[in-house]
Amino acid sequence: MINRSSLPMEIARHILLLAGAAIILLPFLYMVSVSFKAPYEIIDNSGGFFGAQIPMLDELCSITAKDVADCMMMPALHNYYKALIENPLPRYLFNGIVVTASIFFIQVIIALPCAYALAKLKFWGRDFVFAMVLFCLLVPVHAIGIPLYLMLAKIGLLNSYAALVIPWTISVFGIFLMRQFFMTVPDDLVDAARMDGMSEFTIVWRVMAPTAVPALIAFAIFSVVAHWNDYFWPRIVVTSNQNLFTPPLGIREFRNGIDGNQFGPLMATATIIVIPMVVAFLLAQRRFIEGITLSGMK
Amino acid sequence: MTVALATQLPAPPSSPAASPKFSPASMKKRRVEAATTPWMFAGPAVFLMVIILIVPILLALYLSFTNYSLGVIDFEWIGFQNYERIFTRSSFSKMFTATFIYVGVVVPGSIIMGLLAALAINSLTIGRGFYQTIYFLPVMATLVAMAIVWELALHPSIGIINRFFEASCSVPILSDFLAMEWVPFVDSATTFFGHGCATGFPNWLGDRTTALPVLCFIGIWQAVGFNMVLYMAGLTSVPRELYQAAEMDGVISPWSRFWLVTWPMLGPTNVFVITITAIRSFQSFDTIEALTRGGPSKSTYVMMYALYEKGIKQNLIGMAAAITIIFLIFVFLLTMAQRYFVERKVHYS
Repeated sequence: MINRSSLPMEIARHILLLAGAAIILLPFLYMVSVSFKAPYEIIDNSGGFFGAQIPMLDELCSITAKDVADCMMMPALHNYYKALIENPLPRYLFNGIVVTASIFFIQVIIALPCAYALAKLKFWGRDFVFAMVLFCLLVPVHAIGIPLYLMLAKIGLLNSYAALVIPWTISVFGIFLMRQFFMTVPDDLVDAARMDGMSEFTIVWRVMAPTAVPALIAFAIFSVVAHWNDYFWPRIVVTSNQNLFTPPLGIREFRNGIDGNQFGPLMATATIIVIPMVVAFLLAQRRFIEGITLSGMK
Repeated sequence: MTVALATQLPAPPSSPAASPKFSPASMKKRRVEAATTPWMFAGPAVFLMVIILIVPILLALYLSFTNYSLGVIDFEWIGFQNYERIFTRSSFSKMFTATFIYVGVVVPGSIIMGLLAALAINSLTIGRGFYQTIYFLPVMATLVAMAIVWELALHPSIGIINRFFEASCSVPILSDFLAMEWVPFVDSATTFFGHGCATGFPNWLGDRTTALPVLCFIGIWQAVGFNMVLYMAGLTSVPRELYQAAEMDGVISPWSRFWLVTWPMLGPTNVFVITITAIRSFQSFDTIEALTRGGPSKSTYVMMYALYEKGIKQNLIGMAAAITIIFLIFVFLLTMAQRYFVERKVHYS
C-alpha cells in the first residue's frame, strides 16, 4: 500500500468502519431476529437474537382444529409458515421471477442485434440511431411513468404481465453497453464468419453473443436486481389484481393490513424477499458489484 | 464495387471466390441482405425507443397544457395553468422544499460517507473484502422491504431504536455520554438524548420535524455502498507514481496528500457520482410511499410521490404531466452540468 499506515491508524479505521457496519447491518439483523420471535418477545424485546422458541398457539388453526395441541408451533416456524402458506407470497415470488426474467430476455433480444448493427455494420441512418440512443440514455423511465401509464390504460393493458414488462423491453443502456463492447471485438472475427457463409443473424447469436458473455452477465445482474427490487412501476400499473403483485407490492400490501401480532410474519416475508439477492450477492460478489455499478463505468 | 469486380475476374481455382458461396447469385443476395439487415437489427430497438421513451415525453408535454383526466371525455387546453399552480400553490412549494432538502441532504451525505468509507477501506491491510460486502448490502436489498423493517425499528413504542435509547437513560456512563454531559457549555437537558430521557423519544415517522430527516437517513444508508464502490474504482485509477512524486516534493501528511493528489485525481469520479446520486435521489419514491405517503403535513411530499399522487391516485393527469416535465428539466439540467464539467477536463491527467 501507498500509505503504509501505523498500527494505531489501522485500528482507528477499523473502529470507524465497524461502527458504520453496525448501522448498516442493524435493519438486516433486526429483520432476521424479529422473524424468529413470538409476538410478546417482539413487543418487549426479549428472547435474545433467536427468541426463546417456546411453542405458541396458532390462533387461526385453533378455530378449526380438534386438539389445541396440534396448533402449537415454534415461533420461527409459525412466522415463516404464515408468510409462505397463509399469504400468497409464493405467488408474488413467482410473479417476480416471471417479470424479471421476461424483462431481461426481451432486453437482450432487442438490444444485442441493435448494438451489433451500431458497432459492426455500416448503414444509412446509423449515426442518427446512435444519437437517439445517447439521448434516450438521459430519460429515466420512472419519470415518464404517467404518460406510459396512460398509454397502457388506453390500450387496456393495465393489470397485466404485459404492463409490468413492456416499458422495460427497451434498455438503451444495454444497447450502449453492448455497442461499446462489440466495438472492441476485431472486425476480422466478423469477416471470417462471413467468409464461412454465416448469415448476419447467425453472426449475432453464434459469434458475437458468446464473446460478450462477461458483459451480458454484468448486464443481467444490473437488470435483474433493478427489476426484482422495483416498486414504483408495479405500484402504478397493478392497481386491482392481487394475483399480479410482485414481491415489493406483496410486502407493502401485507404491511398495510396487519395488526401488532403479525410483525413476526411481516419480517419473515421481508427476509424471504430480500434473501435471494443477498445470497446471490454473497456468492458472486465481484460480479455483482461490477454489474450494479455498471452505469458508473461508462 | 471491389466485390462486384472480383466476381467478373477469372479467379484462380483455389481462391475463395471460386467456392459456391461466392457465386454471383449469392453475392447479390448478400448485398441485398447488407442493405436490409442493419435496419432489421436496429429497427425493433428504434421502434421501442420511439414508443416507450420519446412519445411519452411529447405526450406529457402536450397533456401538461390540458386538464386531462383518465376516463373523462372532455378536456381542454388550459395553457400554463398547471405550471402556474405548481409554482404558486403552497402544497407544491412544500413539494419543492421536501425534494430539495431530501436531495440536498442525501447527495452530500452519501457522497462524503461513501468517499470516507472508500478511503478508509482502501488503506486497510486486512478486512477490505469484509467491509466492502457489508457496505454494499443495502444496495442489493429490496428497498421497500427494508423500509418496512426501518419502520418497525423506528416504531415509537416497540421499535428497537427507541427501546435502546430508553434503556440507555438508566445506564449512568452511557447516558451521560449520549446526553453530551462531557461537552463543555452544553446543557445536557436540552440535547436530543437528555430531552428524550425526560419527555420521551420521538415518534420518528409521525412527527413533522423528524419524518424527512429519517427518510434522508434511510436514503443515505442505502446509497453509501454504491458511492463507496465507485470511489474505490476511482481510487485505483490514481497512478501510484503521483504519490511517490508528491512524497519526494515533501507532501508527507495524509491530509495534504489527499488534497493535493487524491482529490484532484478523483475529479471525473466526483462529477459522475454527484450526477448519478442526484438523479437517483430526485427519483426516490419507495421509502416515502411505504412509510409516510408524503406526510405528516406534506413534510415529505417529494416530487416522485407528488407525481404518483396527482396522476394515479387523484387522476389529475394534466397536473402530473406538468410535474413530469419539470422533473425531466431537472434531470436534463443535471446531465448538462455533468457534461459541462467533464468537458472542462476535471481530470488533470
